[in-house]
Amino acid sequence: MSQNTDLLTLRSVSKSYGKVPVLHGIDLSIRDGEFLTVLGPSGSGKTTVLRLIGGLEPLSSGEIRLDGHDISRMPINRRPFNTVFQDYALFPHMTVSGNVGYGLSVRHIKRKEIASRVAKALDLVQLGRFADRFPAQLSGGQRQRVALARALICQPRLILLDEPLAALDLELRRQMQEFLKSIQREIKTTFLFVTHDQEEAIGMADRICVMQAGHIRQLGTPHELYYRPNCEFVARFFGENNLVAGKLGTVQGEQRSIETALGRLVCSVSDQPHLKAAPDGAGAFAAFRPEALRLADTRDSDNHFGGTIADLAFAGSSTVATITAGPDSAAQRLRLRMPSRIDGSALKSGEPVSLSFAPHEGHLVLA
Amino acid sequence: MSTLPRFSTIFLAAITTLVAALLYSPLFVPIVSSFFPLSQGNVDWSSPTLSTYVSLAQNHDILAALRTTLIVGLCTVVLSVVSGTLLALYYHGRRAGRSFLQFIIFLPFLMPPIISGLALLIFFREIGLERSLLTVVIGHTVFVLAIVYRTVLTRLQSMSRTLVEASYDLGATGWQTFWRIILPNLSSAMVGGAILAFALSFDETMITILVTGTQSTLPVRLWAMMRLGFSPDINALVALILMFTVLLCVLAARFLIPRQMAAERS
Amino acid sequence: MRSAASMQAGERRLSLLVTVLAYAMPVIFVLVPLAIFLVYSFFSVDQGTIVYAPTLGNYIRFFTDPIFLPVFWNTIILCLSVAVICILLAYPTAYFLTTLKGRWRYALLMLLLVPLLMSYVIKIYAIRSILGLNGFLNKALVALGILDQPSTLFVFNMNAILLTLTLLLIPFAILPIFLSLERIPQTLLRASDDLGASGLQTFLRITLPLSLPGVASAASFVFVLAIGDFLTPQMVGGISGFTFGRILYSQFGTAYNWPFGAALSVALAIVVILAILIGERFGRNRGSSV
Repeated sequence: MSQNTDLLTLRSVSKSYGKVPVLHGIDLSIRDGEFLTVLGPSGSGKTTVLRLIGGLEPLSSGEIRLDGHDISRMPINRRPFNTVFQDYALFPHMTVSGNVGYGLSVRHIKRKEIASRVAKALDLVQLGRFADRFPAQLSGGQRQRVALARALICQPRLILLDEPLAALDLELRRQMQEFLKSIQREIKTTFLFVTHDQEEAIGMADRICVMQAGHIRQLGTPHELYYRPNCEFVARFFGENNLVAGKLGTVQGEQRSIETALGRLVCSVSDQPHLKAAPDGAGAFAAFRPEALRLADTRDSDNHFGGTIADLAFAGSSTVATITAGPDSAAQRLRLRMPSRIDGSALKSGEPVSLSFAPHEGHLVLA
Repeated sequence: MSTLPRFSTIFLAAITTLVAALLYSPLFVPIVSSFFPLSQGNVDWSSPTLSTYVSLAQNHDILAALRTTLIVGLCTVVLSVVSGTLLALYYHGRRAGRSFLQFIIFLPFLMPPIISGLALLIFFREIGLERSLLTVVIGHTVFVLAIVYRTVLTRLQSMSRTLVEASYDLGATGWQTFWRIILPNLSSAMVGGAILAFALSFDETMITILVTGTQSTLPVRLWAMMRLGFSPDINALVALILMFTVLLCVLAARFLIPRQMAAERS
Repeated sequence: MRSAASMQAGERRLSLLVTVLAYAMPVIFVLVPLAIFLVYSFFSVDQGTIVYAPTLGNYIRFFTDPIFLPVFWNTIILCLSVAVICILLAYPTAYFLTTLKGRWRYALLMLLLVPLLMSYVIKIYAIRSILGLNGFLNKALVALGILDQPSTLFVFNMNAILLTLTLLLIPFAILPIFLSLERIPQTLLRASDDLGASGLQTFLRITLPLSLPGVASAASFVFVLAIGDFLTPQMVGGISGFTFGRILYSQFGTAYNWPFGAALSVALAIVVILAILIGERFGRNRGSSV
């Protein structure tokens, strides 16, 4: 169960509905025991990836390998994977224990064994008391847990979760995120979790696979995606990066400059050889997070520019300032996030400010 | 609706009362007469009696017709529920030729019964099938099939597709999925459709008159008797049928409301 | 593995059977009879036997014989009248139902629909006895002083058919009108009130137009059911109440001219299809996008 062996490998997997392509040759390896989240906006093909792996739909081309064996043509009911559906798909005519035991009973396992395994699975999801209820008598969060128990009782190699938290309200969603994560740690089964919610992805995943328009844009740990997005899409989709377009300048050690409407900015390029190698003058973006942007008093630091506060929004623990910067012909809207203060912000709308960010907190993204 | 002025409420209530009276008067007359003797168009309220019910029990002619009706109804229910369900399962989610075939299934229900009945009459004659209870059952089945089909299809369409996917996903075979997931979820719609089919078959008159042989069902028997006028025991029969109908009606409503909805309401 | 494979073979055989059934059943028992029926309308009868040679004679006879066309038109007018009376009675009733709250609304609706399931022949018989010379209607009219003596105005003529069909078919008009009224969002009515419209204005400019699709379906239902009925006119129409349905039926009984009956049925079917199409066209709910 080492995290480094690949459980499942997708090789140039494509899928079209009629003439409409939804996946363009996806390559993806899922490691044994990891919690992998597939993140993307609607229409990105993320649910299709899950349905192809689960066997709910056939591939158009490519192959899926489990432990190195091609399972592309294996029928859905023989695949050692189980799915938690977005609408839970609980069987309305069966009790909770009937639902959870279904996967065992269709395999003709003895009643006694089914009963004890169902009881165990229900204890795991803390629903022991509800065994004889019908799905219609449960709350959303409880149904969710029944669906999970039903999926894990057959001890699948991989559990597929299709936006399972989408129907829950915010508070419950947070609880369920923690709960799912703790279950996954306990049973050490690989989870493939599909969502469009980046916060959810960051909070739960070991690794995140970002998809857009049928392509995988980036695959990495939440930290990597947050601080080192490799393309404009990921940079924009993930958090609320400030992106300033420009042309690449010279490399100096682990940093590289970029000429923008805000002047010459310097950003880190450590561990990103492709950015070091990119030709001078190539189109790129300087990317820096709102919390990296600071109000600066000194005028001699790097990455220094002036701007005007357009708007201030109080957001609880932090306050977000929207700032217009650069010449009028190419004005940039930037966000700055700073801790809120009990006596209110010293800043006012329309006030000019001078700003900066540290080079190691900025990075570059090729256009 | 928004609150109405008083006089318009009274007006609407009056019309509704009138309509209810009009609808119930044809039922009321025979029921009252089943308990009170009738002479020269006047009800004799002074002497309630159950004699009509006694003589009904001895009217072998009517009882035989009733038996025939029940047999025809049961055969119709079995045939229409089995084939209606199969058709609904088959056409569900399928495109090719579906709307055309669906239209054909609905034709006998939409067309005046005289046309459906006459078409079947000629058809039976051309294929050399003698008019009998078999032809009546075929006629009734063709007539009520649309209702059963529609009822089951509606339930199928409201059934989440992921239920079937979930069953396969959990390792079930096609058969297991059919018997353990699809059929149980359709069963209440099938029972509801069966009750409707039975009610329609029970009262079907126009097609039956055209395709029946020597044995007649109750409505056709009544139709034949009506020319001569009814004996009082028919009133007793009407009262019994009304009670039976109301019962069927309540049952149908009970089964056509999905269990899940009922559970959520409670 | 073997059992799984044979199971799949079984599934395949079943699905083949279902496929055959799914296509054959509607075709054999509906399409073929209707087709034969249509073909029959081009045959003729000679001395009690059917002559299987194509001819337009039946249709020519329908259009040229002075008997058939007038009865045809009169029957259409009769059934339209039935539809109109049914709607005049059903609309206020349906409207009243929608003013009621929750359980009462559906209980009363159910109450108004139950007579639909009651034996058809018995109802005709009971209505005839109510309308008859010694019937309740005459007695009431005499008692109220409207008539001097019992009248035969309501039995064995066109009036009797009109009244009987109306009584039989009112529930078919109530249901679609009720459904279309119920579907009108309450917020629209409140918005109209809020904009200063009077109750009558709200009704005429919001409720009525939005419920017209239901009225169209109701009219089409009632008309189709009325024109296809041959038993009611037979029973309450007497000698003067001659409708198209009765003529048609008689071709298969006393007149014994099946091909001509088939041609008359084609005429009837065309009217019915037109009525259904018109009902469908105007019955589509424009308000559904709200």
